[in-house]
Amino acid sequence: MSTGARTSWLRELVRKPFFWGLVAIVALLVLNVLKDPNYLAISYDPETGRLVGNVVDILRASAPILMIAVGMSLVIATGGIDLSVGSVMAVSGAVAMVLMKDAGDSGSVLVALGAIGLALLISAVLGAVNGVLVAYVGLQPFISTLIMMLAGRGIAKVITEGQNTSASNEPFRWIANGFLIGLPVVFLLAIAIAIVVGLVVRRSALGLMIEAIGINPKASRMAGIKPNGLLLTVYILSGVLAGVAGIMSVGTVMTVDVSRTGYQMELDAILAVVIGGTSLSGGKFSIGGAVVGGLLIATLDKTIVFLGISSSATPAFKAIVIVVLCLLQSQRVRSWFVQRRKPPRASAAPSAVPSEKPQQKQEVTA
Amino acid sequence: MSVQRRFVKFLGLAAVGALSIGLAACSSSGGDGASGGEGDDLTTVGFVAVGPEGAWREANEKNIQETFTEDAGFELKYAPATNLDQKSQIDAFTSFVDEGVDVILLSATEASGWEDSLKRAQEAEIPVVLLDRGIEPDDTSLYVTRIAPDNVEVAKEVGAWAVEQFPDGGNYITLEGPAGVGVVNERNEGWDASVDGSKLVEVAAQTANWSAEEGKSVTETLLKANGNDIQLIFAQNDEMGLGAAQAVEEAGLKPGTDVKIATIDGTLAAMEALAAGQLSYVHEYNPLFGETALDVVNKTLEGESVDSYIIVPSEAFDSPEAAEAVLADRQY
Repeated sequence: MSTGARTSWLRELVRKPFFWGLVAIVALLVLNVLKDPNYLAISYDPETGRLVGNVVDILRASAPILMIAVGMSLVIATGGIDLSVGSVMAVSGAVAMVLMKDAGDSGSVLVALGAIGLALLISAVLGAVNGVLVAYVGLQPFISTLIMMLAGRGIAKVITEGQNTSASNEPFRWIANGFLIGLPVVFLLAIAIAIVVGLVVRRSALGLMIEAIGINPKASRMAGIKPNGLLLTVYILSGVLAGVAGIMSVGTVMTVDVSRTGYQMELDAILAVVIGGTSLSGGKFSIGGAVVGGLLIATLDKTIVFLGISSSATPAFKAIVIVVLCLLQSQRVRSWFVQRRKPPRASAAPSAVPSEKPQQKQEVTA
Repeated sequence: MSVQRRFVKFLGLAAVGALSIGLAACSSSGGDGASGGEGDDLTTVGFVAVGPEGAWREANEKNIQETFTEDAGFELKYAPATNLDQKSQIDAFTSFVDEGVDVILLSATEASGWEDSLKRAQEAEIPVVLLDRGIEPDDTSLYVTRIAPDNVEVAKEVGAWAVEQFPDGGNYITLEGPAGVGVVNERNEGWDASVDGSKLVEVAAQTANWSAEEGKSVTETLLKANGNDIQLIFAQNDEMGLGAAQAVEEAGLKPGTDVKIATIDGTLAAMEALAAGQLSYVHEYNPLFGETALDVVNKTLEGESVDSYIIVPSEAFDSPEAAEAVLADRQY
């Protein structure tokens, strides 16, 4: 009885779209452990009250990717795409940095909150422009957000007058570098936001309506769903989340680099969403999947550095991991293997992975 | 109903309008600064430039524009590339030749593909001076001279400083720019020329894409991968070095004593960090060579010959005091 329940639980997990993402994270961690057996070791530094370890670094690095991936998964679910998130990150970071610099590098919490507020407001406005272009003007999402992607970096340059701008503000810095109950604040924040978005979307009809628009806009409109307001909301949310990511990103070094902050992050976000099992053609989406995808990309980036893969081979290594992952996810490729394995036993696949179970459970709840 | 729809349409148009104004504002900042005044005794100089790229380039091109003024007897026609595109540079170059300017200054975005354009200038007897970036293949008969700081030489000096600082050897990591870029290869070449054969051991070399954020993230991981047993970080630009300094601090080490960080470029932010003891060594990559260019142009017009490669001297700063001395009037 209990073993039956266990295998069915396991089978369900294997069937989840982001299962292979989890496998890839574990595989990468194992690769790192092979290089250095102490890779997973986490120590507690009583002096600063923080946990120290490679895994903690991965969690911290994953926070901005998680944010934009969550926003992106909603946008993609409506059948759209948001290419502007990287540029919005740069704008948000630029606004925050310039404001704090003009405020005179104080340690005041008010200044930090003001900077965050204004940065998020402007990100929301940029998101709203995307939304209006897509929902009301009827431009293709790819084109409208491409415009914003190009314009955004220009806006960031105008805001900072083309210079990389630094500022100092302890509360702001704490968001990106601080620790709470031993864990990085950015990661806790990112997970909290992801959970809130997930709950709001899944506990209300919102998620269902977003999926309906993505699957069949015409049918959903006939069923009484007004797409315009929803689309606008989704693009604004994506903008705001990109703004949060921008704050996290510039906060780590307290410098905004207008040409590098958020550079090509939209591709990471799209990748994270795809790894999480959301189809680019729209429809069903998974916030949990996007989180797994974001964690995988952070793990991959850190692994490349830890293993010391040479700079010129880095893109190739990244591409290989992702191609393998996409092949594993592909229904068709998997069906070839199942067909070949049919005669002996159909359920051979699940029994190969029970050892990774505890970690998977943690990740899923995350 | 129709009112609402019209309102919505208007909203959309307003958004598009706002966006296009924003775009226009971006592009107008890079407009040409050439004045229309056709003075009789002014020498016309066509400047095929790179345009907005970063703090270094901005300082460099501003310096050139401020040197070739009408007061100095020049009319400078500034033509920046659109989005670092070589095609737009070749177009600007050709129109300068057709126009018959007296001298052309060229900062090429791409090294290759300039032979035909340079030959046309030669046929029109217009001397061409290369600024900062060279051309491939390097045919010195096609241009008067190339004026630039020497990446290899600068990196060699950084390496020499490192070897001198660590006579008993030590572990170091290199933070590189994007793989395959000419600057990165040259800075690696110069560094290796000095450091090879010394007791310094390179434990890792990774790209951090010229960015402070990535510099910090990469350094953080490399410190952990080597159990904090790193004494020196060679960052190929200032930004990455500044990021690395923060990672070193967060790992509980002290930049300057536990880990020394050397960077190249010499921007204001790096000088401040050097003065504060965050960095240990900053080698300038001098963008201010307008005076040298002016000298070369004058000599060429008078028919004197100049060397085919003029190296712009760059200073090294190896102490907080040296940095403080120049902080006040740092232009970039």
